[in-house]
Amino acid sequence: MKIAMIGWEYPPFKVGGLGTHCYGLTHGLADKDVHIDFYMPKLRQKVKSDNKNITIIEVGEAEVYPYDRPDDKELGGKFFDAVYRYNDLLVQRMKGKYDLIHCHDWLTMKAAVALKEKLGIPLVLTVHSTEYDRSGWIYPNQWFIDIEREGMQKADRIIAVSEFTKRVIVEKYGINPDKITVVHNAVYPIGEGEKRNLILFLGRLTIQKGPEFFLKTAKKVLDYEDARFVIAGSGDMLPRLIEQAVHMGISNKVIFTVKLTEEEVKHIYKISSIYVMPSVSEPFGITALEAISAGTPTIVSKSAGVSEVLKNCFKVDFWDTDEMANKIIALLRYDSLRDVMRQSSKREIQLFTWDRVAERTLDVYRGLA
Amino acid sequence: MSTGVSPNMPSICFYFEVHQPFRLNHFSVFNIGNTRDFHSTYFDERLNQKIFEKVARKCYLPTNNLLFDLIRKYDGKFRISYSLTGTFVEYCEKYLPELLDSFKELFKTGAVDLIEETYFHSLSGLYDDLTEFEDQIKMHRQMIRRTFNYKPKVFRNTEAIYDNRIAQKIADLGYKGIITEGAEKILGWRSPNFVYKPVNANIKVLLRNYKLSDDVGFRFSARNWPGFPLTADKYANWMSNSFGDVINLFMDYETFGEHQWVETGIFEFLEHLPDEVFKHDNLDFATVSEAVERYDAVGDIDSPWAISWADEDRNVSTWLGNNMQIACFNELKDIGRKIKKKGDKDLLYIWRLLQTSDHLYYISTKGFEDGTVHAYFSPYDIPYDGFINYMNILQDLKEKAESR
Repeated sequence: MKIAMIGWEYPPFKVGGLGTHCYGLTHGLADKDVHIDFYMPKLRQKVKSDNKNITIIEVGEAEVYPYDRPDDKELGGKFFDAVYRYNDLLVQRMKGKYDLIHCHDWLTMKAAVALKEKLGIPLVLTVHSTEYDRSGWIYPNQWFIDIEREGMQKADRIIAVSEFTKRVIVEKYGINPDKITVVHNAVYPIGEGEKRNLILFLGRLTIQKGPEFFLKTAKKVLDYEDARFVIAGSGDMLPRLIEQAVHMGISNKVIFTVKLTEEEVKHIYKISSIYVMPSVSEPFGITALEAISAGTPTIVSKSAGVSEVLKNCFKVDFWDTDEMANKIIALLRYDSLRDVMRQSSKREIQLFTWDRVAERTLDVYRGLA
Repeated sequence: MSTGVSPNMPSICFYFEVHQPFRLNHFSVFNIGNTRDFHSTYFDERLNQKIFEKVARKCYLPTNNLLFDLIRKYDGKFRISYSLTGTFVEYCEKYLPELLDSFKELFKTGAVDLIEETYFHSLSGLYDDLTEFEDQIKMHRQMIRRTFNYKPKVFRNTEAIYDNRIAQKIADLGYKGIITEGAEKILGWRSPNFVYKPVNANIKVLLRNYKLSDDVGFRFSARNWPGFPLTADKYANWMSNSFGDVINLFMDYETFGEHQWVETGIFEFLEHLPDEVFKHDNLDFATVSEAVERYDAVGDIDSPWAISWADEDRNVSTWLGNNMQIACFNELKDIGRKIKKKGDKDLLYIWRLLQTSDHLYYISTKGFEDGTVHAYFSPYDIPYDGFINYMNILQDLKEKAESR
């Protein structure tokens, strides 16, 4: 079986779960003897394949910008230009015989739909997030929604990363649930480090990820227990969050790291004592699995897809900062809670393998080929 | 006495555990030190009343009525035993006195025996010092005397938790029999269908036949079980073909209508069981007191470690299997020492309500199969929530014990 997969980012150059997913999925599929041509935008540094069944084909000269819409209008304009150019180039340049096309999210949907029609082969679409998630359900942009809906309608099969996302696709985009398969994400284990008294937030600093709830929680915890709160990531909310921390009088306890490298991310997972993911809307949330694999007890938002499948973690409403603080204080105070949770959750995530993701994805392919 | 009674004429000893815990309110770290009336802040009265009334409607009332009719129908030859926990009787008194009246009516038939246990369904039998254990047994004894004007002769510890030390204590307190699990680890090759005695004490031991008990309690509606569907005549046949003096069928009362829903046919099964049993000349029914009176001990039971009838492990790992549970258990014991030193009666009573073993059961993280059973009974989504809530309440109680 030979697949044309259209991506946007790929390790080591990635900004989010999408790149992680593409890497894990392509390798899981390659191990099952599926051949993949992975199309992605051309970057300054060359991305190399480390597997004989995976060929990376770089297209065009677009520069990868943050996955999210940039705040800056001019930069934003360039970003959308780049997206359009990448899509156009893909349609022109994709050659070869494929059994099907597999694309991810709105960025490459236009090209995927055009190629499906041009080449006359089936299209599989994986939805990692929707415009509703990215906007935190506040003023979602109709322009994105229209692109997403068209892609979803034209796709022969859709893979959603959670039941939660499947519901959004059905209810908000009016798609037939029968063509949607849920495949939950997986994780490559990270390994434990020496723990410090750090409580971690990691993600883009946008409404979707709920960093302000993390800050409010930090304030409540610090009234009772001492700890450092690390906010790792960058995004449009950064200046506001810094100001807020100062205003709350906790700026000496909050560390803003801005964007971290892959290695730094692994390190911060390893040395953190607690990971908090207070997302307002999170289709899956691979970071929760990553934190757990680094031996870090985890608190996730109930509005995260990962909370559907993970048993050994706390699940809290993203707005309920009292309850989040209640859990964090208990984790700081009681070794027994921390230890049992760490051990049980690490055991549990052994089930979340990319091999399983590849197997389920292959089932979807087989249904079409 | 067993002399002259053939060992293939077993008596069926039906015994039901009737218990409700006082489940806890959501109690955050921010509540610690800010509570006054602890009964309403610690315990979720609305949830507790709701669950109690639901179980009463689905199980307690219809099962009591059915058993009452069966006892009358067979003229007292159908005989059963109950253990009612102190907390359960408090529920009845508070929310449904007619349920307690119905148990009194059952008892008055003379075909019903009552079993002693700790008033609070606690793990006090595992404390280093057994004074609290003894106190709670005496509280239960007083409650039974007050309510039924009766003095039980047989004791069953919380979830049948049993070891040599507990057996010795119960013998010292004057009971004639004690109930526990017919676990292989104490029986070896021997059958649970006989009466035994502890190696170290003069008291008889009744052992639960877990296979036949769980056929009804757990497997009754399991379609993938070869015994499905379990009919009264099939079950009576199995018992008639059993070897021994006594078949101890011990189960949760909620088996009828709650664990096994009415749609499974569990009530029809129960209704027809006496009739099917009486078709076999070698079978009859006995209460627990009658069983220990009628049969001699055929061998010794040695249990230096604690066993129970819970989960596949049949030990105390259900309540003390992980470090969160052990941390709570130690905290609980420590608070008790402080409260007893202080001599505050209100605090003592609240502390005892918090000893109910269910609170620790909710914090169990045991494997998937047992874990699903735990999840079914637990008011918490995950055991970690149970830990935080219980521990926060213990911290509040500790502050009160230290400050008042």
